Amino acid sequence: MSRGNAVLAAIVGLVFLVSFASGARVGGGWFWDLGNALGFLGLAGILFQMIPAARGAATKRHERLGYWVLAIAGAHAFWFLLGDGAVRVYLQPGAPLAMWLGLAALLVLAPLTLLARMPERARVHRSFRGFRAVHRFLGFAVVGTASLHVALTGFYLTRWLQDALLLAVISACCLGRSYWARLGAPAVASAPAFAAAGLAAAAAFVLARNLGR
Amino acid sequence: MLFAALLVLGLALVVFGPPPPILRIQRVTIAGAGRPILPMRFAHDDDHRGIPCATCHHEFVDRRTGSTCMHCHVTDPKVSPLLERQFHDLCRSCHIKEQAEGKPAGPTRSCVACHQTDEEF
Ligand code: HEC
Ligand code: HEC
Ligand code: HEC
Ligand code: HEC
Repeated sequence: MSRGNAVLAAIVGLVFLVSFASGARVGGGWFWDLGNALGFLGLAGILFQMIPAARGAATKRHERLGYWVLAIAGAHAFWFLLGDGAVRVYLQPGAPLAMWLGLAALLVLAPLTLLARMPERARVHRSFRGFRAVHRFLGFAVVGTASLHVALTGFYLTRWLQDALLLAVISACCLGRSYWARLGAPAVASAPAFAAAGLAAAAAFVLARNLGR
Repeated sequence: MLFAALLVLGLALVVFGPPPPILRIQRVTIAGAGRPILPMRFAHDDDHRGIPCATCHHEFVDRRTGSTCMHCHVTDPKVSPLLERQFHDLCRSCHIKEQAEGKPAGPTRSCVACHQTDEEF
């Protein structure tokens, strides 16, 4: 396993572990837990993509993983809208803040990803520096809104300890350029590695919360 | 292009609800209540037998009987904005607590499990 893939697997594992740090394995049933596993996986992917590193030749992989992360995050939203006939009231006027934050995260993640593609990017940003500044800013906006969405819905993260742990993972992924540089390899991982780690974590998440009920 | 299409699809789902094979939940105006709210599915027998009445029927204790939960909770301007919070607190937290203790429990998250009219199940 490459170092990047190992880091990705570790982040996926940590994010899912935080959801169990309440000590209880409560769930919302197969449908809900699977949909939310997609959400946690999306968050883990976003966090991995945030690792500050000079990617250089590895940019292509960063880009490709980005599409996967966007697809997972989108699947998380459509999963519920399509599968539960009442969820949509949570995106109508009067809906809770946590849901607007989730929507915002998705609506920022999409242009962040799609406008970083090469022909489009050149049309929007003349200089690479300008692009990088905007890309970074949007990245932080996604992390902020998505993690608040997770913390405020508060179903799996019910304790302060869990919020603190999630914050620790987030900080580790978003900050500390020199620290990541010392780890060696640029922070790139392959899409199949993401899929494999995600499949394992999601399966564990769903089974642990539903088996034997 | 694809993104725009998904955006429109998402918006359509939010406004109109999921397509036919999936049960679509509409807000309805129930008798005695002012504004339309999501329907609720609740049965006293079996599932909730053995729970003291006053756990939910605070009006029995407050001596304010004669009116239904929803009549007060939807029309009273003081509690109407809290409808969702108060009822989710009452119903879901008990289900979550029971589930955490490993006992049989009601729905903890699934909206449709609670938000159906009784006639639909
Ligand atoms: C354990 C049962 C239960 C579950 C699960 C549940 N609710 Fe409720 N909810 C209620 C009850 C009871 C009320 C108050 C009575 C009513 O509105 O029918 C309520 C009220 C609401 C209200 C305020 C009324 C209105 O129409 O504006 C909203 C919004 C709502 N729920 C949304 C949801 C959503 C979305 C989900 C799924 C994520 C959900 N609920 C899951 C029981 C539940
Ligand atoms: C878990 C909460 C809960 C418990 C426990 C409970 N009830 Fe209810 N009860 C309700 C709800 C909610 C309604 C409204 C049902 C609906 O609209 O479908 C209701 C409705 C009623 C009604 C119809 C009038 C009204 O207020 O809508 C009566 C009568 C009633 N309950 C009596 C009792 C008695 C007697 C007990 C104790 C043996 C009891 N209930 C226990 C929640 C509860
Ligand atoms: C006579 C009007 C009335 C009826 C009937 C009524 N409520 Fe209430 N309810 C209130 C008011 C007013 C409050 C605000 C707190 C208070 O002043 O007691 C309240 C508060 C609550 C709360 C929040 C309690 C808390 O500690 O925060 C819950 C939950 C609740 N009601 C559930 C129900 C249920 C379930 C029923 C029917 C079984 C019901 N209520 C019937 C008027 C009513
Ligand atoms: C004090 C605890 C408690 C409260 C409060 C409570 N429930 Fe339940 N509920 C239970 C338990 C326990 C079960 C499951 C019993 C079983 O499966 O044997 C259950 C089951 C259910 C079910 C599943 C029925 C089915 O056949 O799938 C629904 C729906 C439900 N509750 C709705 C509600 C609603 C709506 C409220 C609030 C008005 C509420 N509950 C309040 C304890 C509670």
